[in-house]
Amino acid sequence: MPGVDLKRGVDPGLGEARDSATPNVIRHEESRLGWFLVLPVLIVVAVLVLYPLGFGFSMSLRSIIFGSGIPDHFVGLRNYQDVVTSSSTTAAAVHTAGYLIGALVLEVAAGLGIALLLNRSFKGRGLVFAVLILPWALPSVVSAILWQRLFAPNASGLLNSLLLDLHVISAPHVWLASTTSAIFLITLLHVWGVIPLTSLIFLSGLQSIPDDLLAASAVDGATPFRQFRHITLPLLRPALAVALTTGTVVALAIFDEIYVLNGAALNTRSVMMQVYLTTFQDLDFGHGTALAFLLTGVTTVFGIVYIRGLRRVEH
Amino acid sequence: MTSRLGRLLRGAGILAILAWSLGPILIGVLTSISTQAEVQATPAVWIPKSISWDGYRALVDSHAGAGLPGGTETAAFGRAMLNSGLVTLESTAVILVLSVFSGYAFSRLRFRGRIVVLAVILATLTIPVFALVAPLFRMMAGLRLIDTQLGLVLIYLSAEAPLAIWLFYNYSREMPREPEEAALMDGCTRLGAFVRVVLPQMGSGIAALTAILLLATWGQFLIPLLFAPTLNSKPVTVLITEFVGKYTTNYPLLAAAGVLAMLPPAVVAIFLNRHIRGMLSGWSG
Repeated sequence: MPGVDLKRGVDPGLGEARDSATPNVIRHEESRLGWFLVLPVLIVVAVLVLYPLGFGFSMSLRSIIFGSGIPDHFVGLRNYQDVVTSSSTTAAAVHTAGYLIGALVLEVAAGLGIALLLNRSFKGRGLVFAVLILPWALPSVVSAILWQRLFAPNASGLLNSLLLDLHVISAPHVWLASTTSAIFLITLLHVWGVIPLTSLIFLSGLQSIPDDLLAASAVDGATPFRQFRHITLPLLRPALAVALTTGTVVALAIFDEIYVLNGAALNTRSVMMQVYLTTFQDLDFGHGTALAFLLTGVTTVFGIVYIRGLRRVEH
Repeated sequence: MTSRLGRLLRGAGILAILAWSLGPILIGVLTSISTQAEVQATPAVWIPKSISWDGYRALVDSHAGAGLPGGTETAAFGRAMLNSGLVTLESTAVILVLSVFSGYAFSRLRFRGRIVVLAVILATLTIPVFALVAPLFRMMAGLRLIDTQLGLVLIYLSAEAPLAIWLFYNYSREMPREPEEAALMDGCTRLGAFVRVVLPQMGSGIAALTAILLLATWGQFLIPLLFAPTLNSKPVTVLITEFVGKYTTNYPLLAAAGVLAMLPPAVVAIFLNRHIRGMLSGWSG
């Protein structure tokens, strides 16, 4: 979502329509209505997703630099080669790995914890849910603005002021200037918006565990800890795969939070920021699309790895 | 965990969830009603002594803003909020119709090519929008649709429709079929049964998808940053980031803009939160 950009999930497997004996007339009507209802979607997907995908790929194989005076020409895979070997890509990839690892650790830990806490019904649970969902519902840009004063670099910044009061630090920190603290704080802001989703994913995983399984194991003398370790955790694997996939897809595309808090500063640039700068600041569409396609490839590989991991456990 | 310690821990955990979720929002609200002197004080003033509306006045009151630091942004801010609202409603409506129609068709109707079309849509789910931004930009530039609402709606379609269709397909697959089958037995046409029986049955799914689409579209940033360069179409998310550059330390004004831009999605999330939860849980299978 936010980037509520929609936080995308992957659900393996297609369902089937049920077969029931129907006369031919109805079959014909059904088929016509089916195509009538689906055709607009097909056109949208073809024109606005598949065509730009192909167009983008052809752009990534050409040298296209606006305002350079050099006419477009085919360069094969050279854009990809340039992008992979460039030091700015390496730096952006390292930062993005930092965001990704931090985000996944925090999302899984907090998401699982919250799901366990909210799994049992109690008075006011609906209200807690309404509050829990809020950070996910807010635009990431707006969240960044709300958080901004926390990270202000002088002594009146809230984080600095708090830590000065507690004598943890002796002088105000410029939090966003050092790579480590900047990436950590931006990650914190990022997961603030994703943890609600991760919690819901784990919660629906927990609720799919049959109660009698836990009851039976309790009768057999299993302690709550052993139940958690040997029943709950293994059965949460599918939820974990979905949470990891979703978390990875949004973390690899991290952009909005960085843009608001630290602009295009070198120490926090993500790969997505690099794609943006290359394509729309340098107007180098060839290298920009090549980097974007590489990022797409990496995202897809992660998704496949998680889903494969899930399959192996199920069999 | 019925022990007293267990209950105490659970209570503390729930308080922590509330503090973590509401804390930054509360800080934003408090900042928006502080004065410039208060946000620059050392040590920091977390809770202002009295309510100051300066930040909001600069954004909504065209007469009062002129003398304030940061001047007045009334016209721009109002226009950007309007742009956000209009484009959000338009794209939500279009994507909703597409998702409901196709969700029904994919889950209930048998027609040749159904599985293939479904597989294509599933495959497009794995294409992140950033892979398409540059080619879409050139397409839209060619069609002269940069900086138009129509252009934005088309790009949001590209970014959001596949997931919305998928979510709604999963939802309608789970719905009981008996009411529709009964209507067909009674001699209803397929279309008639769809309109009179199935559509009303989809109420909660439609509410959930509407909420998710409203939130996702209102929150869009990178797309309008590129495709909505002027106030003709610029949404509030993009305008706010320009304020950050312009009024770097005018935290009350920035926070006030943030709070106002936060209100519509917050209202949607609070009122439709049960529906949203249902659909998001469904997506994890």
